[in-house]
Amino acid sequence: MSVVTEVSDDGKKLTISVEGRFDFGRHQEFRESYERLNTRPDSIVVDLKKATYLDSSALGMLLLLRDHAGGDDSDIRVVNSSSDVKKILAISNFDKLFDIS
Amino acid sequence: MQSSSEPLTVLIAEDSAADRLLLSTIVRRQGHHVLTAADGAEAVEVYLEQRPHLVLMDAMMPVMDGFEAAQKIKQLAGDQLVPIIFLTSLTESEALARCLEAGGDDFLAKPYNQVILAAKIKAMDRLRRLQATVVEQRDQIARHHDYLLNEQRVAKAVFDKIAHSGCLSAPNIRYLQSPYALFNGDLLLAAFNPAGDMHILLGDFTGHGLPAAVGAMPLAEVFYGMTAKGYGLAQILREMNAKLKRILPVDMFCCATLLCLSFERCTVEVWNGGMPDGYLHDSLTGVRTPLPARHLPLGVLKPQLFDDRTEVHPMALGDRVFLLSDGVIETSDDHDQPFGVEGLQQVFAANREPDRLFEDIQQALRDFRGEARDDFSMVEVRLVAPGQLNPPPPVYSDSGQSSPLDWSVSFEFRAQTLKRFNPMPYLLQLLLEVHGLRAQSGALYSVMSELYSNALEHGVLGLDSSLKHDASGFAQYYRERNARLDELNDGHVRVHLHVTPLGDGGRLVVEVEDSGQGFDVARVLARPLDSDRLSGRGVSLVRQLSHQACWSDDGRSARVEFFWEALA
Amino acid sequence: MSEIHLDRDVLSTLKEVMEDGYLELLDTFLNDSEARLRVLHEARDAEKLGATAHSFKGSSSNMGAIRLAELCAELEQRAKQPSLGGIEKLVSEIDSEFAHVRNLCREEREGFHC
Repeated sequence: MSVVTEVSDDGKKLTISVEGRFDFGRHQEFRESYERLNTRPDSIVVDLKKATYLDSSALGMLLLLRDHAGGDDSDIRVVNSSSDVKKILAISNFDKLFDIS
Repeated sequence: MQSSSEPLTVLIAEDSAADRLLLSTIVRRQGHHVLTAADGAEAVEVYLEQRPHLVLMDAMMPVMDGFEAAQKIKQLAGDQLVPIIFLTSLTESEALARCLEAGGDDFLAKPYNQVILAAKIKAMDRLRRLQATVVEQRDQIARHHDYLLNEQRVAKAVFDKIAHSGCLSAPNIRYLQSPYALFNGDLLLAAFNPAGDMHILLGDFTGHGLPAAVGAMPLAEVFYGMTAKGYGLAQILREMNAKLKRILPVDMFCCATLLCLSFERCTVEVWNGGMPDGYLHDSLTGVRTPLPARHLPLGVLKPQLFDDRTEVHPMALGDRVFLLSDGVIETSDDHDQPFGVEGLQQVFAANREPDRLFEDIQQALRDFRGEARDDFSMVEVRLVAPGQLNPPPPVYSDSGQSSPLDWSVSFEFRAQTLKRFNPMPYLLQLLLEVHGLRAQSGALYSVMSELYSNALEHGVLGLDSSLKHDASGFAQYYRERNARLDELNDGHVRVHLHVTPLGDGGRLVVEVEDSGQGFDVARVLARPLDSDRLSGRGVSLVRQLSHQACWSDDGRSARVEFFWEALA
Repeated sequence: MSEIHLDRDVLSTLKEVMEDGYLELLDTFLNDSEARLRVLHEARDAEKLGATAHSFKGSSSNMGAIRLAELCAELEQRAKQPSLGGIEKLVSEIDSEFAHVRNLCREEREGFHC
């Protein structure tokens, strides 16, 4: 599995880790990682430490996640981005929507 | 599709009459329909005529033996599987191998065992039906694929009609677009506005194929429609963003760079949402200034949160703006390394002739990738003297019977309106109802825009145009403009329009007043025309394009006239 | 070498399968076999001998004539050897074995009418 989820003990924080190429092939897995939960977490962390590549479908998936988590009221952080991934996120100005580090 | 309990037609090819009789009876008793042949040649003939589902073939037969007959029958069957069970009392493995090589699928030994025969027939039939299913599904997929290709052809044809109502063929534009652009999600649009400014959009939709095309069409309609009416970039961007946000699914969006190139004012206005850096190339110094993405792509933000702020850069004659899609940056070599911005910078550095920039880039990509491919888009626009371009006259669709010829109207736009509304397109539309003015729509738009922006920027906002003497001054000027506009609480701009008949034609009087401090009219009017200066050309433009231009009330009020003769 | 001239079990299975066609089967077998024997006597080349023996072997085994089938198998093997010497002896054996089988088949025919 290249998408791994982890929920904190109190159910309030969801961490989604993506490994390898974050592209269209990950679409179903990524959606299921947050749609299948019983609880709605207060905050979400997307961990890209092991992600090697990000394309526009991945950006679309992040938008879907944000929409699902409450849109403008959501709290989503994208962490451990490599410099390549950070560059892609910067060009698309996604730091205006997500907390990126 | 046959089910497993339906009777089959079985061909029995056996030269021994007794064995043939016995086998036929056994097979018939199992519920199947039987055909017989006494030698290989007859077996092939019967197969050709009757196309049985399954063949029981004796290996040794006169005229043509079982091996040859089996090969011929397999050939005739083509895609479909016709199982062949060899009847044999051959025991050496070499002989058995020959059966398999000839296309046999199984053996039945003599003496015949009914139970074994029944089991083999059933198993072979299952394989036969499986093969038939596979072939049918393959054919279905091929048909479906053809439908999809045709649908894409239709979508492309419709899109081409919309896309090519623009001015990409203008002499100052050079572009390269993949023939598959639409289906890569790439979009390139260009059009003149009524003032003769050029709007350009280079866009990149997420996704490929029909979803990208479906988003591109409404976007193109907004772009062309609003540009033709004289709307500015900010309004067009807001409308495009709102439209895409409304119609596209959440995960689809359109990265885009928009330009407004003004040949009169020698400026380029830029908005970049999510596209790679564009480059402004100074023809004198050779310096390339990047135009980076400062905004989210179109279709992501709700209208209330959308940021339509543009940047304005001064340009000189011969300067160029270069835009490219990320297909260039992402081109990769054998080791999956991308060409990258570094690769592009190297081409810029090595480029000696600006006219050959495209060729240099294409060559560099070819060298890098090891082959030529065309899945990227590039466009380069040059600033030329206004007279060098011939924007086509706008086309009107009404009959001309109901032109208003004698009327007046006054508007007062106050602070809260000045902040977020550009009245020019509306006023222009109103004036173009007067048919006599249509031939001068370019001049009309240019003059009114100039008067309005002077009234707003120098009058109400109190900005000093002498700031615009160089590139950084320009940036500062526009920053200051946006800041003051955000904080504006008082002030107004009034516009008065009077249309009256005159002889066989008519006359339009435009008056624009602002609530600002005014300016030293005499001094400005006395200044010589200086085409190298970046600012202050507005007044001379107004005087050139209209009649009886005059300023009063210490420069707070401007008045111009337009005339027209009787229409032919 | 088997001593079974005509296997009763095989015959009863054949009777069950063929039903009314049982007699026709016996007759067809007998006619076919006589034709084959003629070929065996007249044949001069080893290939034809071998092919006929092979074919005879097959139909005999289907009828349950085990010993006959085995003799034919032997003839098929011998026909593959370089010298055809002594082959007439084997053909005679096949002749007499078939004669025996034919009698048994005729008895079967009588018995079937009842």
